[in-house]
Amino acid sequence: MSALREEFSQWMSDNFCGEYECLRGRATPGDEDAFPGMRLKWEREMGAAGWIGVGWPKAYGGRGASLDEIVGFNEEYAAHGGPGRAGHIGETLLAPTIIAFGTDAQKAKYLPGIKAGTEFWCQGYSEPNAGSDLSNIKTKARLENGNWIIDGQKIWTSLAMDSDYIFVVARAEEGSVGRHGLVFLLVKLDQPGIDIHPIKQMSGTAEFNEVFFDGAICSEDDIIGDVGDGWKIAMALLGFERGASTLGQQMTFADEFRQIVELAKKNGASQDPLIRQRIAKSYAGLKIMRFTALRTLEAAETGELTKEGYMSKIYWASWHRDLGELAMDVMGASAEILEEGEYNKMQKLFLFSRSDTIYGGTNQIQRNIIAERALGMPKEPRGGGTVIKG
Amino acid sequence: MAFPFTEDHEMIREAARGFLQDWFDGGKGIEKIYQSGQAFDAQAWKSFAAEQGMAGIAIDEDYGGAGLGDLGRVVVMEELGASLCAIPFLTTCGIVADIIKIAGEDSAKAELLPKIASGELTASYSDGHDATKKVVTHSVYSGHTDMIILSRRVADGIDYLAINSDAAGLVITPEKTMDPTRSFAKVDWSEVADSDIQIIGYGSEERHAKIITQSFIALAAECVGGAQKCLDMTLEYAGQRVQFDRPIASFQAVKHRCADMFILIEAVRSATYAAAIAPPEEKIEAALIAKAYASDAFFKVASDAIQLHGGIGFTWEYPLHFFFKRARANRSMFGNSAGDYDRLADYIFGDAA
Repeated sequence: MSALREEFSQWMSDNFCGEYECLRGRATPGDEDAFPGMRLKWEREMGAAGWIGVGWPKAYGGRGASLDEIVGFNEEYAAHGGPGRAGHIGETLLAPTIIAFGTDAQKAKYLPGIKAGTEFWCQGYSEPNAGSDLSNIKTKARLENGNWIIDGQKIWTSLAMDSDYIFVVARAEEGSVGRHGLVFLLVKLDQPGIDIHPIKQMSGTAEFNEVFFDGAICSEDDIIGDVGDGWKIAMALLGFERGASTLGQQMTFADEFRQIVELAKKNGASQDPLIRQRIAKSYAGLKIMRFTALRTLEAAETGELTKEGYMSKIYWASWHRDLGELAMDVMGASAEILEEGEYNKMQKLFLFSRSDTIYGGTNQIQRNIIAERALGMPKEPRGGGTVIKG
Repeated sequence: MAFPFTEDHEMIREAARGFLQDWFDGGKGIEKIYQSGQAFDAQAWKSFAAEQGMAGIAIDEDYGGAGLGDLGRVVVMEELGASLCAIPFLTTCGIVADIIKIAGEDSAKAELLPKIASGELTASYSDGHDATKKVVTHSVYSGHTDMIILSRRVADGIDYLAINSDAAGLVITPEKTMDPTRSFAKVDWSEVADSDIQIIGYGSEERHAKIITQSFIALAAECVGGAQKCLDMTLEYAGQRVQFDRPIASFQAVKHRCADMFILIEAVRSATYAAAIAPPEEKIEAALIAKAYASDAFFKVASDAIQLHGGIGFTWEYPLHFFFKRARANRSMFGNSAGDYDRLADYIFGDAA
């Protein structure tokens, strides 16, 4: 065990207790509305102790942790039952982007709040007509008197309701289409030009939001890169998720799996041979996800680009969706019953996991990406399609 | 270097692939084997196993092998799966080598392992535990190997018996198989004199189960190689075949199925490589997962490959059907995946009968 991992494990034992006990294993996807106040307090606790940004370079207040150390850190966090991280978008996506492409002033302005666990970010990419076809962005930005003025709408913005800032990809060049003419802006959410509407989902919860921009502003300095660089920066940001956190996610999955096994033992479903087969297959999937992540991470460490990473999103999403269905079948008829009138953890897992195969690139888009990038198959002809009118 | 492999593995892979794809020759190699009616290419064994030194890949250096263990064997088995080369590597260098290494008497190790490592000796294995009449059927490669290893249940465990294929009284009857690239035979040793049956090792039932399960890893690797070959052939064909003025590879119906094939293959790779490098205490579980997942995936990928090739995939001339038949055969080698998952469930629930 690395020294960092050991130190962090000790710190979790000493600090993830008492009033934070209610957060144990909570606030995972589908449960992100759990104890919002306490979660933000926990982030500040992590930040104050220097446990946010352990993978950042030391020059920016990080610990410059190696890949192995980051993996160990994430696994330790999950092993202690740490709650879903409210600040992960800022910490693991935006901060590396600012470090790589931002100005010194931007680094000084934005990194400390992320590092301290006091300022939270959300991601303004998707729009009503820019989902799978992400480059079809219509939100507009124009420069006026030293400010960017933003008009338009983002949607499916995770955790916007708990965030302080949003990074927005918007169209700055009149008449530009697709990946051209876009800007990447850093925008404060608490201002008159921004309205946030939560979207109530089939899970009954509302992690996703609509964010409306009506003359919202940010300073002309709050652009990363230049006008026209927006797409490049937006994609680079996605590339920063190198997968170390997916091992942490898998610990959460493993925990859910164990709970289902325990339930099956308790209610006798474990005696059903078909349930046993599905449990065993699910377990195989869990092991496969872990080793696939290791293959990708180890290769990345040596600068190698390997193909198996392309399967990770569709594989975990489909696996997790199947786990939700398995959970319901293990519960049997009681899957229908709302104890205390609320969805329990298994029911939330079942319902929320329907979004896993949609957000962050649907399974269908993932198959396109695999076919085109991993297998080198030709792209679909673009445009010129016939719209069928019903 | 792609984790978990080293330079050594990559060199072996390159050498094995070079030889075996030449042998495969776009499917002509298999067709020749089919025409010969013998699922054994003695010349290929000599060149590949003996001269190139592949037979000793997993055998310890003390016995003249390369000492590359399970992971080295995985590399070779993948390439064998991609070519369906008709040689008894899986039985000789897989399960028999493992039986001797783990359960063999010192004298058997000293005598047999160097011969296997040098490619001088071929061997098959059959589970003769409960063969009351001293007859086993569906014995893989027993019709072509120099030595037949049998396990027999005795009062306090398992004995491993070795019979030379030229022993007096040994009757070996070849069986016709749907997969013409791996031979099966009926072995009858009821008339073999005791003096011609050598006991080379013994062990507990539990250890025997472990040895057999460990050999699943090599079988899984064969599935990886076979499935990858099916996908490669499909991608090549779909890129060339034009319909509606476009290569069919540009249609999503085709792309998505190829993507699913890729996902399955990479998942199987992960399961197989993980099993190959698993520490002893995790080996059995990992090997079960690898074989169950791999045998199902190979069959699915091979059948999808035929579908995506359309009519040509259904012809005898096009070699896909040989992979499809091997994939089918692997589904019942050492039992089916449902049985593997059953065992896995026993571990998970901790309620093994």
